[in-house]
Amino acid sequence: MDKSTIICRCEEISYEEIEDVLTNGATTFDDLKRLTRCGMGPCQSKICHSLVADMIHEKTNTPYFQIPLPRMRMPLSPIKLETLATNSTSFSSVKSVMDEVELEDGKVR
Amino acid sequence: METDILIIGAGPAGLAAAFETASKGLDVTIVDESLTMGGQLNQQTQVIPSLPSSFQSMRGFEWAAHLTNQLKEYDIRYLLSHRVIGFYKDGSVGITDEQEVFAVKAKKIIVATGAAENAVAFPKWTLPGVMTIGAAQTLINRDFVQPGKEAVIVGSSDFALDAALQLSEVGVHVKGFIEKNAGILSRDLEKIEQVKKIGIPIHLDSFIKEARGIGAVEEIDIQIGTRVFTEKVDLVCVDGGRSPILDIFYQLGCSFGYQKELGGWVPQYNHQFQTDREDIFLAGNAAGISTQGVLLVTGMLAGINACEAVGAITKTIADEEKDFLWKELEILETKYNPTIWEARNRHMENFAYPVIKEQFLS
Amino acid sequence: MDTSYQTIIIGGGVVGSSIAYHLSEQTKEGILVLDQKFPLSGTSGSTQAWVWVHNKTPSWYAEFSMYSAELYSYLSKKIGDVEFKRTGGLSPFFNEVDREKALRLAEAYEQIGIKIKVLSREEALEKEPFLNPAVVGATYSAIDGNVNPFRLVDRYMRAAKKNGVQYSTYNKVTEIQKLLGKFIVVSEKGTFACKNLILAGGTWSRELGKLVDVNIPINQLRGQILVTEPLKPFLNYTISGLRQAFNGEVLIGYSMEQEGFNRATTLDVIQETANMAVHYVPALRKAKVVRAFSGIRAMPEDGFPILGKIPGVENLIVAATHSGVTLSPLIGTLMTELILDGETSIPIDRYSISRFA
Repeated sequence: MDKSTIICRCEEISYEEIEDVLTNGATTFDDLKRLTRCGMGPCQSKICHSLVADMIHEKTNTPYFQIPLPRMRMPLSPIKLETLATNSTSFSSVKSVMDEVELEDGKVR
Repeated sequence: METDILIIGAGPAGLAAAFETASKGLDVTIVDESLTMGGQLNQQTQVIPSLPSSFQSMRGFEWAAHLTNQLKEYDIRYLLSHRVIGFYKDGSVGITDEQEVFAVKAKKIIVATGAAENAVAFPKWTLPGVMTIGAAQTLINRDFVQPGKEAVIVGSSDFALDAALQLSEVGVHVKGFIEKNAGILSRDLEKIEQVKKIGIPIHLDSFIKEARGIGAVEEIDIQIGTRVFTEKVDLVCVDGGRSPILDIFYQLGCSFGYQKELGGWVPQYNHQFQTDREDIFLAGNAAGISTQGVLLVTGMLAGINACEAVGAITKTIADEEKDFLWKELEILETKYNPTIWEARNRHMENFAYPVIKEQFLS
Repeated sequence: MDTSYQTIIIGGGVVGSSIAYHLSEQTKEGILVLDQKFPLSGTSGSTQAWVWVHNKTPSWYAEFSMYSAELYSYLSKKIGDVEFKRTGGLSPFFNEVDREKALRLAEAYEQIGIKIKVLSREEALEKEPFLNPAVVGATYSAIDGNVNPFRLVDRYMRAAKKNGVQYSTYNKVTEIQKLLGKFIVVSEKGTFACKNLILAGGTWSRELGKLVDVNIPINQLRGQILVTEPLKPFLNYTISGLRQAFNGEVLIGYSMEQEGFNRATTLDVIQETANMAVHYVPALRKAKVVRAFSGIRAMPEDGFPILGKIPGVENLIVAATHSGVTLSPLIGTLMTELILDGETSIPIDRYSISRFA
């Protein structure tokens, strides 16, 4: 494997870029994901996570059982916003910024 | 939508679990992304070895049909071409048919989502023409498409040998196996003999140093020890091993343990094939990578345990069936590879001591 | 690694790393940043990262935010590209009651020199053609924008390290004592001494305060955010609720839940958020959501930053706030002044922790 070998094909992140943040103190998949975008694309690390675990194992001498899984996320696979928006009519937790502007005696607080 | 048992995944384990639960009179719902049931079995034209004693020897796709047919007499809700996208706060499962997202509330959920193939990286592995052995099998056996003319296989597991044999059968020239270890991984002597007979060389202690090609793979450099040679190929099938698919367990907050022999990280479960979320059972490769026969038995066990948990059968009856199945599981798994059986037992013993837990607490 | 420092900063998020960077620009005396995990693993790495001034109330808080936002252009020149973009901020509204609020807001801001325009429906749609045509109007401010939070913290950290700042990560502080005018900071990986101690623990500030017997009233407030696949650039402004990033992804979300440190996402809120997105910008209907994430906001009990010296303990400073991304350049600057000069160029009395006493 040379330095230019792609590790994350969704975001085209190379071996070298991951190596760089590992030498800068990152130790987990999630650490290096935020710094390189490795694993942030459409597959959500499904393809690259084992390759990255191998790299962490080699570079930091961490045994595999101490390399935590990348955080997995919903939706489990990509979905259209209009589909996702179905059967949701109420807004209990989602706010508008204007909701937060409070008036006192007709004036902004 | 409400149901007694929601089974996620209609592969061999999920279908076996469906039979056990539906035949006990429970309301069963099966969800699967695919339009057809049987999961990966549909791509498998090879004869499936080491089936449980009650089954005749069959090819993969025949077996998929058999498992599907035995459900015909029950009123099961099939959500095919549907996928699970996540979970609601109250534990309901969010399922979509691509038109809408709806909630399914189940008394018990059996997760049988199977395994994913691991990637193998080398310079230019992202070139078209490089694919997993599973993808190659899908192309030839399901889509009837020849994925290339001249191929190499990276790996030497049973699955890698199967893929090579099937590729040869459809006229692909398989130029060799490239195995990084010092020995062949497959334990199936008969298959190894078959491969040797058709003259496919097996390179040990070797790896792909580099692939080259413009727009698609055209040639690769193979390194064996200090020697490097070039092969012209338009297909590279890689076998990086398989690991349980974990995303559903992760979202459900289930804990995980690590067992290399079972495929790495595996959801933690007890002898009831129950995770530490007591309404969540699991079966098949999701519970550790094993052979098809074992997958089937774990599906039956998960189904029976779920039946017992909702009171559809008595403990006595359940225990009797489970005793029999556990013996069967031990025989099948030990015969295939005793280290997997040992790892499975270690994994269950560690139930109370997971390595990853409470993954959402920051 | 040294065991004695002039200044120790606990917390390497956007606030702690900004302080470390700004301080290291002014002094070469030893600075150590301790982080219980790794920078960006907390709130700073799970945010929409608006640099947001308008609709902040009351006006003195908006003014404070504006000063910070003004520093961003200069900051990028010093620490490198953080993908800061002053897009302007747009808050659409869909009813006449909100227009009334908006007009009052604009009036109040005018007195402190922040220009907020209340746009008509036509003006709003002209600026942002893909807004829902059912929009009634929008507030608009030219100051607002957004930044890439990963790059921001990474650049702060790299610039600070270049100036000699040391980072010790995956190193939780377990005990703090004051001995002969020095702080003794006990951590999982060792014990360190320092003259100045800065608590920049974000959501964990309350827990951190307990180590020095100080009540830092910070609570947790969860937000869930959706991220789409990359889309062609089509949104011109940072819209309150969603923005388009440099790489084309649209980040959507404005939810609030009290769930402690639980960073799970739930389909309930994800669907509400999707609903909001297609309501604001119907063109997003066909866009695919690739992932959702949760972030825990550090929310002071009264909503305002807690900044400055902690009365009664010499050389102990707290910097804990919501809107850390917006405020980080200013907080870094002011805390540096406070440490080196004992006073700040912009008054921070309103933000003193003593207001909770």
